[in-house]
Amino acid sequence: MVTEIEVARSLQTWLNADMGNYSIPRERRINVVIKPASLRKAVKNLVEGYNPRFVTISAIDHGLDIELLYHFSIGGIVATLQATIPKEANEIDTITDMTPAAHFIEREINDLFGVKFRDHPEQRRLVLPGDWPPGDHPLRKPHEGVIPPSARLPVETLLSTGCLTTVSSYVKQRRERVGLPPAPPAVCSEKELLPEFQEIMRQTGFDGKAGYDWGKKKLRYK
Amino acid sequence: MKRFTLFLGCQIPLRMASVEIAARKLFGRLHAELVDLEGYSCCPDPVVSRTMDRKMWLTLAARNLSLAEGVGLDVVPLCNGCYETLTEADAVLRREPETRREIGEILLRFGRKYGGGVRVRHFVEALHEDVGIDVIKEKVEKTLKVRAALHYGCHLFRPEEGEDTWRKPNMMKELVRATGADVVNYGVEHLCCGFPSMHADEAFSLKSMLLPKLEEMDRAKAECVVVVCPACTIQFETGQALLRRYGFRYEFPCIYLSELLALAFGVPSAELGLDFHRSPVQQLAQRLEGN
Repeated sequence: MVTEIEVARSLQTWLNADMGNYSIPRERRINVVIKPASLRKAVKNLVEGYNPRFVTISAIDHGLDIELLYHFSIGGIVATLQATIPKEANEIDTITDMTPAAHFIEREINDLFGVKFRDHPEQRRLVLPGDWPPGDHPLRKPHEGVIPPSARLPVETLLSTGCLTTVSSYVKQRRERVGLPPAPPAVCSEKELLPEFQEIMRQTGFDGKAGYDWGKKKLRYK
Repeated sequence: MKRFTLFLGCQIPLRMASVEIAARKLFGRLHAELVDLEGYSCCPDPVVSRTMDRKMWLTLAARNLSLAEGVGLDVVPLCNGCYETLTEADAVLRREPETRREIGEILLRFGRKYGGGVRVRHFVEALHEDVGIDVIKEKVEKTLKVRAALHYGCHLFRPEEGEDTWRKPNMMKELVRATGADVVNYGVEHLCCGFPSMHADEAFSLKSMLLPKLEEMDRAKAECVVVVCPACTIQFETGQALLRRYGFRYEFPCIYLSELLALAFGVPSAELGLDFHRSPVQQLAQRLEGN
């Protein structure tokens, strides 16, 4: 009889770096975090290796990202593949060709959450009525993170500079006018210390929690 | 000569440099040296940051404390929020060995270490106790004839273990009285200004938190409000402007304790850059100089 650990090891062999952590929260349950791009590879591994029964897909809207949980029953073990897609991308490959029972649930998730399933063979509504407004997905939350509107600019400034307020040329001039150095001796004005500060933000996970995009130096929401 | 490490924080040097310059002149006249803490970051703030991510809050605070430990002097923040963060982070790291180990591991990755050897002193404590209230009184050159309402700010009431919650607020009151100012009793001194709730509900913050304080200050015939917190300063200054939208007009000058003391020590207002303020502090200072 297959065990939870065997499923994890098999996926690990197939996916390598595309597989994240896995957990066995209780007997006969295993959750495996995977990269969305490796979803089909993971499902192929389960289908060909274990001939599982597809149970369903759960969708959770976290505000900035949508988490998709693909549940399979393998000889009495429920194995769940966890893939998280950013709302900016908003799409993932279909698995309908490998597990036909996913056909309806992918259409339902598309209706309710607005997630697009690439190459789905029948991309039309399932549960919403025909006259439902296009683009309106009733279970989809606004694209927003946890930082309240009035704190978004200070948080962006903090993550990009190390201080809550920008050291602008205007501030520098005004400081010099009253006889102070143009900037305080802080991370925001000592550029060689900024990488250390920003690495702390990464290592504590604050950047992800706040929804910060390091490339754009902005929060992922306005 | 007394020596302290100065923790400037973000808001004071970048938004209200008059508070910084006043503190430097003030400590200078008291022959107390302020050594700048080099390479510090945002403290970070003790309300939003700590609520959102305690680990990040503690790690950054511990990094700042480790820098201060390297200097080897008591660290003096000019801001209530920085004071609370540094004091409470230090207390948490002493109280929780597992947390201390976890945060210590992160700091070590950057070659830093905090051994718990820093004493954090609010600038009110540094002035009142370490320099001494009697020395302050001796240095007053100009008696300030003004009716002052004190707003202590919530964080000044945070007691260290076993401390009377009014210990630091009472020190602030004595320091203001030392300038000759008449401290008015308006009854709601201990209430929050409403700054944190601005993030959630502007109308509530202004009309239910700030406005009752302004009304009572007005009733007590106060001529200014004295603060020790940049967030409270922002709330009083921009809050009074925003309240006009709701039909309420108040124009209390909101002066920082360091600025008030500097004026009493005879520092000319022109040297303080009081035009950083968004309330009529400059006009108040000129009037006090003229008296």
